[in-house]
Amino acid sequence: MRHHTSRAARALAGLGALAAATLVVTGCGPDITGGGSTPDADRLQAPTEKNPSGEITIWDRSGDLFEVFEAAIDDFNEVYPDITVNHVAIDIDARLQNTLITGTDVPDGVFLDDAKVGGFAEFLWDLSDVLAPYTDEIAPQKLDVNTVDGGIYGVPFDLDPGLLFYNATALEAAGVDATTIETYDDLIEAARAYKKAVPSSGPIHIEQSPFLGQLQLDMYANQLGTSIADADGQVRLESPEFEQILTWLDNVQKDGLGTRAEYLSPTDIGELENGNEVFYPWAIWFDFAPQQLLAETSGDWRAMELPSWEDGGARSGAMGGASFVLPREGENSGLAWLFYQFLMFDEAGYTPVWGPNDVYPDGLNTSIPSYIPAADPAKPLFAPLKALGGQDLWAVATEAGAEIPGTAPIPTWWAGAVDYLGNNLQRMYDGDMTPDEVLTQSTADIQKNLIDRR
Amino acid sequence: MTALPATRSAVPAPRRRWGSTGIRRRLAPYVFVLPFVAVFLAFSVYPLIFTARLSFTNWRGTGAAEWVGWGNYTYLLTSPGFWQSLGNSAVLWLLIVPIQLAVGVVIAVLLNSAKLRMRGVYRVAFIVPFVTPLVAVAQIWVVLFDQKYGAVNAFLGLFGLPDIGWLTTSEWAKPTLALLFLWKTTGFIVIILLSGLQSIDGNLYEAAALDGASRTRQLWSITVPLLRRTILFAVVLQTLAVFQMFAEPFVVTQGGPYNSTTTAGYYLYNHITRADLGTGAANSFLLVILVMALSLLFVRLLRAKD
Repeated sequence: MRHHTSRAARALAGLGALAAATLVVTGCGPDITGGGSTPDADRLQAPTEKNPSGEITIWDRSGDLFEVFEAAIDDFNEVYPDITVNHVAIDIDARLQNTLITGTDVPDGVFLDDAKVGGFAEFLWDLSDVLAPYTDEIAPQKLDVNTVDGGIYGVPFDLDPGLLFYNATALEAAGVDATTIETYDDLIEAARAYKKAVPSSGPIHIEQSPFLGQLQLDMYANQLGTSIADADGQVRLESPEFEQILTWLDNVQKDGLGTRAEYLSPTDIGELENGNEVFYPWAIWFDFAPQQLLAETSGDWRAMELPSWEDGGARSGAMGGASFVLPREGENSGLAWLFYQFLMFDEAGYTPVWGPNDVYPDGLNTSIPSYIPAADPAKPLFAPLKALGGQDLWAVATEAGAEIPGTAPIPTWWAGAVDYLGNNLQRMYDGDMTPDEVLTQSTADIQKNLIDRR
Repeated sequence: MTALPATRSAVPAPRRRWGSTGIRRRLAPYVFVLPFVAVFLAFSVYPLIFTARLSFTNWRGTGAAEWVGWGNYTYLLTSPGFWQSLGNSAVLWLLIVPIQLAVGVVIAVLLNSAKLRMRGVYRVAFIVPFVTPLVAVAQIWVVLFDQKYGAVNAFLGLFGLPDIGWLTTSEWAKPTLALLFLWKTTGFIVIILLSGLQSIDGNLYEAAALDGASRTRQLWSITVPLLRRTILFAVVLQTLAVFQMFAEPFVVTQGGPYNSTTTAGYYLYNHITRADLGTGAANSFLLVILVMALSLLFVRLLRAKD
């Protein structure tokens, strides 16, 4: 009996200890309150030492850009010999959120898509003070997408102007002169003329991926000086601008003037190669395709500014882009700022990034600098492209970049909106929704599921 | 025997000191299990309770978490997206698990046959898809099942069949994804079933053969009943895998078209990546309850005839 009692007591004590330990460990984590709170946003100040020294950890995503930045570190160390750069290739999407939440091994600087800057703003330094000497010389769109509640949370990296890529050889054979296209109505007419000559064609690319379709829609909207959210993060789809864009896209699809495919999927590549798809309104980074993927039509492609939505309207809008963010928990954020300041605003820094380097002997031509003095049409950093028939893409892109209107910050719910706006856009292409229904339904869904729940 | 009490009273009981043999003996089991308990507390109990607590808050990863009561649960239970993700997983389960087990049993029986030549080669061949990196397989899938230029439609075209939007239509995306899952994981299930088959006494088959039982009869009357527990294990394992399926839709369809391949696991992931950690935590709890209920149901169904 005593034996049983003792065993039960021990079991009870063990359970009690387990419960106590559990309560202790669950005490860790966020405080729970009845309402939200906003931590103070600090402004980063640049180091004032004459010879700053220390080690910084910089995260970049793996791939060609990592190699480009890696090569630029030597140039940085010529100016700042006492700063050691620990450059890490990492899956930023998978790691950054957890790292910032836990505050463990937080890097000093991170390469981040512009669309994600707003979502992490509370963890980042406000760079308004350090960027102040440069803000007048940075592309307005890039400053705007990095601005949250008046603070600037990213060092703008690249500007990705939207361009109209076209297969000059195929169009010429069909008797269509693409260089005369100035408005989207002109583009429709050119597409009709091409389809008449090549009946099997769908001359204009229509994006089938909901995510990229929404990104492309943002590019068209940026041209018209609007975006899916206003400066307060409120959805603003129900506007004449979006109505105009969606009606145009709907007409392209309904009139059989489009090839609907996912960006550079096998279908897309096949249709680009066989001359069925000859107009590609996309960001500058589409030039990767004729350089690397379109073996048969490489050299046939050219780029021009996007058509405008009305006579005299802006001839480009931004599509994508990235910046560098500096987490407040980083140990040497000031030194990281010096690194990015050198890379983006010092000629000795941005020249090896966009100019000829070990990775790209002719220069990095999938974007242009967002720092306006570096994006001078008369001073090309990268060489003309053989894949574009020797065209000077630098001149085209920098002139287009100068036309990009300012915009509003990208809302933190942008990626979540793909479930609604991105999908509804595809439903419109399927003929299941009208442009008006897309805008009304998407607005309601985004408001209910994304905005009201924050 | 009678002297024992006297001896006991004559010799004073030793004082219990730390380090004495008795105490050490008593403490030893606790010390041995302490590392496990510590790890279990840190990596199982703590995350579980933390997640439970989180599921009642609106927390975006920073600042204080706002208590929202049952808000996240009611949002999910009234959200069409949540139910669609469960429906997608249920349809995928139907497309995968029954077929996989039927095919798996047949393949395992064939591979278990002593008459089969090069059994080792076949066994390795079946496990190769399981160990092949999913990203590589997914890329092959995207190319094979491309609507206009894919090999599958090209082959079907030889018979005059029209192009099918395998990955671009809601009707076909799920079967295409199920096919990928089947191709990738059936080898693993075959290995599990094979281990179950090898534990069946061969004398049973000999006796059945002497009694005139055909191969089919042996399969239904000996193999399947004696494999019941192994099959149960495989069903539970694959039910968990299908409802948690994430990588396949993430790489091949990104949950589309129109969320038709957004599985329960993928839907949960969307909350987490959008820093909606409270809803994500509530979603994971609902998923745990569902999967546990399903697993218990299968256990009851398959044990009923034991």
